[in-house]
Amino acid sequence: MRTYAPAEPGAVLADLLAEPSIARGVVHHAVLPPRAADYATFPAWLDERIVAGLAQRGIARPYTHQAEAIEIAHRGDDVVIVTPTASGKSLCYTLPILQAIADDPAARALLLFPTKALGQDQVTEFGELTAAAGLRISTSTYDGDTPAPIRAAIRAAGQVVVTNPDMLHSAILPHHTKWFQLFEQLRYIVVDELHTYRGVFGSHVANVLRRLLRICAHYGSRPIIVCCSATIGNPAELASMLTGRPARLVDRTGAPAGERHVVLVDPPILHPESGARGSAATLAQRWALPFLRAGRQTIVFGRSRVAVEILLTGLRESLRESYGPRSRVRGYRGGYLPTERRSIEHGLRDGEILGVVATNALELGVDIGRLDVSILAGYPGSVAATWQQFGRAGRRQGMSIAVLVASGAPVDQYVIHHPEFLLEGTPEEARLDPDNLHVLLAHLRAATFELPFDPGEVFGPAPADDLLAFLAEQGHVRQAGDDRWYWASENFPASEISLRTAAPENVVIIDTTPDRPRVLGEVDLFSAQVLVHERAIYIHESVQYYVDRLEWHERKAYVHRVDVDHYTYANRAVTLKPLDVFAEATAVGGRRLHGEVMVTSLVTLFKKLKFLTDENVGWGPIDLPELELQTTAYWLTAEAQRGRWRRDDLDIALLGAGRAIQTVAAIHLMADPRDLGLVTQVRSPHYEQPTIYLYEAVPGGIGLSERLWDRHAELLAGAADLIAGCGCDAGCPACTGPRLEPGVDARALALRLLAELGAPIAAATT
Amino acid sequence: MVDGAATLTRRLERYRTALLQVTPAAAIDARGDGRAAAGLAERLADAVSGEVVTTAEGCFVRCEPPSRHLPVDRERLATLPGQPPRDVPLVCLDTETTGLATAAGTAAFLIGLGWWVADRFHQVQLLLPDHGEERALLFALEAAIPADAWLVTYNGRGFDWPLLTTRYRLSRRAAPTHAGHLDLLPIVRRLYRHRMADARLRTAEAELLGMHRVGDVEGWQIPGRYLEFLRGGPAQPLAEVARHNDQDVRSLGWLLAHIETRLGDAGCRAVAPPGDLAGLARAFARERRLPEALDCLDAATGRPVDVAPRPVSAVRSPAIAARETADDAPWWSPKRPADFGGYPARSWSPSPLGPGSAPLAVAWTAERIAVDRAHLLRRLERYGDAAEAWSALAAGPGRMAIVAAIELAKIHEHRLHDRPAALAAAIRGLGAIERRRRLGRPEPRLEADLRRRVGRLRRRIPASSSDRRAITRTGPPLA
Repeated sequence: MRTYAPAEPGAVLADLLAEPSIARGVVHHAVLPPRAADYATFPAWLDERIVAGLAQRGIARPYTHQAEAIEIAHRGDDVVIVTPTASGKSLCYTLPILQAIADDPAARALLLFPTKALGQDQVTEFGELTAAAGLRISTSTYDGDTPAPIRAAIRAAGQVVVTNPDMLHSAILPHHTKWFQLFEQLRYIVVDELHTYRGVFGSHVANVLRRLLRICAHYGSRPIIVCCSATIGNPAELASMLTGRPARLVDRTGAPAGERHVVLVDPPILHPESGARGSAATLAQRWALPFLRAGRQTIVFGRSRVAVEILLTGLRESLRESYGPRSRVRGYRGGYLPTERRSIEHGLRDGEILGVVATNALELGVDIGRLDVSILAGYPGSVAATWQQFGRAGRRQGMSIAVLVASGAPVDQYVIHHPEFLLEGTPEEARLDPDNLHVLLAHLRAATFELPFDPGEVFGPAPADDLLAFLAEQGHVRQAGDDRWYWASENFPASEISLRTAAPENVVIIDTTPDRPRVLGEVDLFSAQVLVHERAIYIHESVQYYVDRLEWHERKAYVHRVDVDHYTYANRAVTLKPLDVFAEATAVGGRRLHGEVMVTSLVTLFKKLKFLTDENVGWGPIDLPELELQTTAYWLTAEAQRGRWRRDDLDIALLGAGRAIQTVAAIHLMADPRDLGLVTQVRSPHYEQPTIYLYEAVPGGIGLSERLWDRHAELLAGAADLIAGCGCDAGCPACTGPRLEPGVDARALALRLLAELGAPIAAATT
Repeated sequence: MVDGAATLTRRLERYRTALLQVTPAAAIDARGDGRAAAGLAERLADAVSGEVVTTAEGCFVRCEPPSRHLPVDRERLATLPGQPPRDVPLVCLDTETTGLATAAGTAAFLIGLGWWVADRFHQVQLLLPDHGEERALLFALEAAIPADAWLVTYNGRGFDWPLLTTRYRLSRRAAPTHAGHLDLLPIVRRLYRHRMADARLRTAEAELLGMHRVGDVEGWQIPGRYLEFLRGGPAQPLAEVARHNDQDVRSLGWLLAHIETRLGDAGCRAVAPPGDLAGLARAFARERRLPEALDCLDAATGRPVDVAPRPVSAVRSPAIAARETADDAPWWSPKRPADFGGYPARSWSPSPLGPGSAPLAVAWTAERIAVDRAHLLRRLERYGDAAEAWSALAAGPGRMAIVAAIELAKIHEHRLHDRPAALAAAIRGLGAIERRRRLGRPEPRLEADLRRRVGRLRRRIPASSSDRRAITRTGPPLA
């Protein structure tokens, strides 16, 4: 079936499906019909020069969603735009900004991107459009790489300033008096890639935006906020959580799309006893090769840096054997130089590069044009990310193909066997909690540093006086004779807050690989226990580092770069005590609750696990002190169970059901499964009932537990479904977790428990 | 959110209790009786022996130390590079702040001002009794700075003035206008760095004015003392802060007087340390006042150069210290790093006030002064004199002889259009290179330059020239 001549994607797909060994693995094959373009006209208020510039760049008419969005923004309402990849989202905020500056050259706009690279792209695009329109608009990136002399010029005269939340937080807001020209005339704030602002990072950014809007109010401006997001379940809600203001939603795309085939593939089971499956990477290569040989532009997504390199080597190896276009297949991931990345992006756009193997670095809005085929080696962790990656393949006309190859991991297995979840279900909701106490207090300090607080002034959910009084007890702020709250410390609060972590006390990770050791990043104490204990493999931007030394009292971890084929997983021994119940309700067979808990964690040993297969290749002890974490949790008790269960059976059933609930929760809430901790108690000391706790592994929580409480029934049903639909005989890592005792049917026990808790169990199962 | 505000309050309470268990009784009384601004102002005024001034904008504390005799001849001062014109008023300014960042949350709580009335130096200090009274303080400062005045500060361009500008912007006002700003830090660095271990004001006082402070408060203690006072702590420690600031402002005046009396005219320059004059020459040269620069260098030439002190207070990293000792080792020592030519690696800290910054440690020598002088003569287009100066240097020892030979060859070839002389100079340079090679210190870059020069000059000098034959016979073999 080797095809060396150019062929249409459809023909290649037909050939592939005709091959029995390939066809056996196909779980689902869906065909999404093509969609025609839906055009509107440019509004009459749009400056003629801009219209001419657009025409020059080949844009004669806007799509309907673009027209709708720019109209809303022009009227002065906040708007959030949610449309598929490469549907021209950036025009939705570019045009209102250009118009505002064309009307009044004093007007300013601030563009926020989660990463530096995306900002750079945007500056280029802005420059091209303004040049075509014959407008003189100064657009500049302001980030850590901006040289000092240019910074002063941008502060004074930059009309469109492109930056990232970290820079806004630590360099712009604390120095707002130097930016007064920007803040006095700020008309638009653009938050692109809205869906990335979730979890701890999102909670921090929400507070940075509170500070930003507070500064704007001080200088007398009221900017309009335009958000752009990839497809997620709750874009309008996320935008309003992040900005604190309601936004109008634009989610009907007018961009055209060709026919798209979505193929879900499951690797064959190799050992029926253990349930071990073949590798997703190998299978993804088999799918990619025929398309590459047929001259179709193909992108393969791997889940880690190592996976990318393995895939790339494998593909090049196979293409050499059969004289394929080997040199036209490239890798793309964090750690490549910016120039190298730019040349790959350019090569993809003009067709010079045929295939690319990438990490999710290519998932965000980097412009690489449209490809024919997208192959995912492993489920990327959320429906939204899956569609982002699928979306990389999709010509405006003609057929495109998206293939998801599952790995053996529980989440992958659940998704692949529930195609409706991926194809019809709503994508996950992104959660954040701007009122997380730790995050809120940290930013309240920064906000007081920036401007004193009036008595009764609102910051976040309520007037800030109580919180400020608390900060005064700590000696950070003080209430002066005029009753206002002033910053009263020598410290610079913004430098003490990292937007990417929640707790104020962090372990700093120091990379000793270069001659001059550099700070790689920070992790909060609780995560440090499991991420940077000695001899751990710490993965940062998909580069692996070996932890040589962890100085716990100094809060420093020393690491050096390595390239190994395994990662480490630390076992946390956790005890949990409920502190406060925020809400509770009765459920079938018990109660469901959510509230605040104290989690005590002790880490004693770690395992080394191979990439792709998760095979255990060694272990070691960890010697670290016990830690306490105050966070929020969701829990359920099974009251009717006592007396009808053997204690050992109940233990296994609780753990099995808990694991399944944890997996389903992670899928539904778009969270990393490691962000949700699981504790089961056969007889809870607090409730004297069998209890399953899911707690958030972030101090104070980020609002996940409340959503879990809301969706209790859905979680139980999903968990039962996951276990019942699993192909194993008595529980496996993909459903109830690794088997603890031989000869015990964890699967049946967990299902029995879930049934008693009210989950509908499919009739086909035993 | 399940009733966000109420939940938040409960969580805050629990967090507070948890913290109190960890650090019991560490909390400071935030609302002591020190809260009322009037009370604070009175306590502060008592401590610094000042008076409370109440205006429509609020109150501040004003304190006026006695004026003193401190004459500065403005006429002579104005002739020096970078100094203010003779007829504008000068306002010396120094602030004490609640922190070191010039960002929005740092306030200036003590502003010390100084100005001249004839030969007498008058001073006043404005103090902030409470955060909320800042407007009154800023108004008072505005009134104290005439629009045609020049500010005189020490590192005020980078710190004090931007910080005050920020304070004005925060209260939505423009900072006071002034005609110019004389920051003495760069001037002191340029003139005196060769004999100072660092550029802090206190070092300048000790080295230049011979003044040594006794019982002075350390800079890092100042914000803490003030914040403690605001929280109800004692005001007395601020008296020392006020004294410190008073001394800082007075030193600005003394420094100006020192510069004027020691360097103000040719007469005093004749006895000034040659290193200071070399620095002054560079300052003149930066303003393209080349004849005056040359005068300074001429005055510096031929007198013994003072030996620069090794920085004593400088805290150095072990790595730099190790490198330095290796540099001091004799040339044959195995510890000494090989000298491959080129520029030395930049390894000092970039902070203007940082201890041990390398430029401060570089001493002026007679040779460096001669080099500056030779460059200056060339810029003045006195090529004959420049050639003479370079020629003298080329006869000297070390690497400089080679560089001087190259410069000499350039002047002869391009300015004096004397190719044979240029060739002779270049060949002399090659000889110097040869000498250094024998000492085990080759100069590949300079050698390549000279060989290229020699080759070109030989091609361009007519074959019949007698000079050429003479040179070819005696010159070293060429590759």
